[in-house]
Amino acid sequence: MDRPSSSAEHGVEARGVTRAFGTVPALRGMDITVPYGQVTALVGPNGAGKTTLLLILATLLAPDAGHIRVAGHDLRADPEAARVHLGWMPDVFGVYDQLTVDEYLAFFADAYRLPAAERPRRIRALLALVHLEEYLGQPVHVLSRGQKQRLGVARSLIHKPRVLLLDEPASGLDPRSRVELRDLLRSLAAEGVAVLVSSHVLGELEEMADRVVLVDHGRTVGEHRMGDLAGAARPRWRVRALDPGGLAAALDGRPEVGEVSELPGGCELGPLTEAQAAGLLADLVARKVPVVEFGPATGALESVYLAMTENRR
Amino acid sequence: MGARVRGARLVAVQEVRIRLRTGRWKALLAVWALLVNGLGLLFRLSLESGDHGDDDPQGVPMFGGVLLAVLALCLLITPALTGQSVNGDRERGTLAALQLTRLTPADIALGKLAAAWGTGLLVLALTLPCVLLPVLEGVITPGRAAATLAVTGLLIGVVCALSQAWSALVARSITSVLLSYLTVLALFGGTLLLFALAQPLTVEPRYYSSSSGTRYAYERERPELVWWLLAPNPVVVLADAAPRLPPHIETDGDVSTSSEPDNDPLGDLGRSVREMRAGNGNYHEGGPVWPYGLAFDLLLAGGAFWVTTRRLRTPVRRTAKGVRLA
Ligand SMILES: Nc1ncnc2c1ncn2[C@@H]1O[C@H](COP(=O)(O)OP(=O)(O)O)[C@@H](O)[C@H]1O
Ligand SMILES: [Mg+2]
Repeated sequence: MDRPSSSAEHGVEARGVTRAFGTVPALRGMDITVPYGQVTALVGPNGAGKTTLLLILATLLAPDAGHIRVAGHDLRADPEAARVHLGWMPDVFGVYDQLTVDEYLAFFADAYRLPAAERPRRIRALLALVHLEEYLGQPVHVLSRGQKQRLGVARSLIHKPRVLLLDEPASGLDPRSRVELRDLLRSLAAEGVAVLVSSHVLGELEEMADRVVLVDHGRTVGEHRMGDLAGAARPRWRVRALDPGGLAAALDGRPEVGEVSELPGGCELGPLTEAQAAGLLADLVARKVPVVEFGPATGALESVYLAMTENRR
Repeated sequence: MGARVRGARLVAVQEVRIRLRTGRWKALLAVWALLVNGLGLLFRLSLESGDHGDDDPQGVPMFGGVLLAVLALCLLITPALTGQSVNGDRERGTLAALQLTRLTPADIALGKLAAAWGTGLLVLALTLPCVLLPVLEGVITPGRAAATLAVTGLLIGVVCALSQAWSALVARSITSVLLSYLTVLALFGGTLLLFALAQPLTVEPRYYSSSSGTRYAYERERPELVWWLLAPNPVVVLADAAPRLPPHIETDGDVSTSSEPDNDPLGDLGRSVREMRAGNGNYHEGGPVWPYGLAFDLLLAGGAFWVTTRRLRTPVRRTAKGVRLA
């Protein structure tokens, strides 16, 4: 395989991408960087433009404006060159129900011009990767929705792409499959692939992604390292004590702890930063409140996301 | 070159495999073969029962009649085979992944066209028993059968290409199938209608002086100006392209008269369009009409193929309203 030009530091670099459908703007200036060897999450509410951005990055849709490089190739000048290095899985897709699982993958192997000698090994390896080995030779239509989703992942990996774009891959997956998807994406990133995942399932992204790009109303509103988010976030906190009455009394008349709502055996309060929360916990312990649980009620990503969507409403 | 053939073949094989595994293809094809061949034989029997002179071999009208019916039926089946080849895949969400592979738009268009045309030719092949019966009887030469079957096959390909272009242009597969049927209707009926409407416009006044010096005025139509409107009609192309039968020679004592063979639908049709090309007042036939018609139809198909290829290109700039790309 030809290597992308050495100047390419990132799998995807996009600046100022705009796209309108008719008179309705879907993207109003998106910026995104997807480094090699990392999983980047694309997060935003419905209609934010995630799918549209991924279609543009996948060379299916032309942007109205903006500079985009994928695997080092300018999409305007040479989309075909970028395609060779690009794996893409749409949010909703069809499989050829009449084929068997291995026929399906073999067709795409041929379409990507994989050497015929390499094909059977590659198909077996991919089916093992997405835990569908036992479906070798089975028709695609016997697969469940989640299994089809995994077959889609296998398809998008058939030509060993250096850049992988996945649109809501976790939807329709059971918890076990989600954990497996997370491990799969992490191992691909460890091999140097630039992975971009759009999702609503914020809890999983937190464990899966290295970076997060927040988008809303067609604009990029933030690009963060996942590690930095925890410090910056102001989530609500969940506190449980052996003596709920004592806890309530200790919190009474203290506006700095935010809005307090009762929960069985305790309460939820906040939003507080990690430093504020640590201070509050020390104070409660000093007042001899028997605290048995003190933790963020939402993940850091979720609280950033909720704050963002609240501001924009 | 090698890559184009390989890519198109990959797509064609995939299409055929999916078609064969969808629905009851074998049963449908068997029913088709039984129906057409059964009707062909019935047609032959009815010809025989109405037969009076036994020097007219009934294989001639059978061949012409059956072939015209087969042409019409095949061209009516074809839109159903091809009318959703592109937008059907888009609706099922399988097209975009294909477009991202190293297959080019022309590979995809060519492969799908080959699969559809191949299916159309298979449908045609199933009618061969009753089409070829007159050949086995020795009434129709193998050359005439080969030429007419080749033209029928080409016309099926033309309708495939046109239907495919509709399926690439229009978002909904129901709409594109409908438009494909309208296109076939336009080729069959539209050309006739246009000709019928245009011919009266060619009327010109003529004068005739009798021996006594009186001038009479009369009007004359000039079909030689508008014959080309009929040329794209598949029936006209097929009939006129059929090689002519040898003239009928009747010997009465020493005098032998040669006349056109009776009961040859293809030859009759071909002669009448050639007479139109020659114009009124000419008592000889004009030149052949079918090369113009076939060339026009093939050009139309070429344009349709180009449209399909263009519509398969990515990245897409304009998107249809309310249609998912992927
Ligand atoms: N083909 C289309 N035609 C018209 N509007 C579209 C089309 N695709 C997307 N949009 C609009 O663009 C906006 C962004 O949509 P999308 O990218 O699907 O958002 P997300 O994936 O983040 O939910 C939405 O307002 C949507 O209605
Ligand atoms: Mg979406």
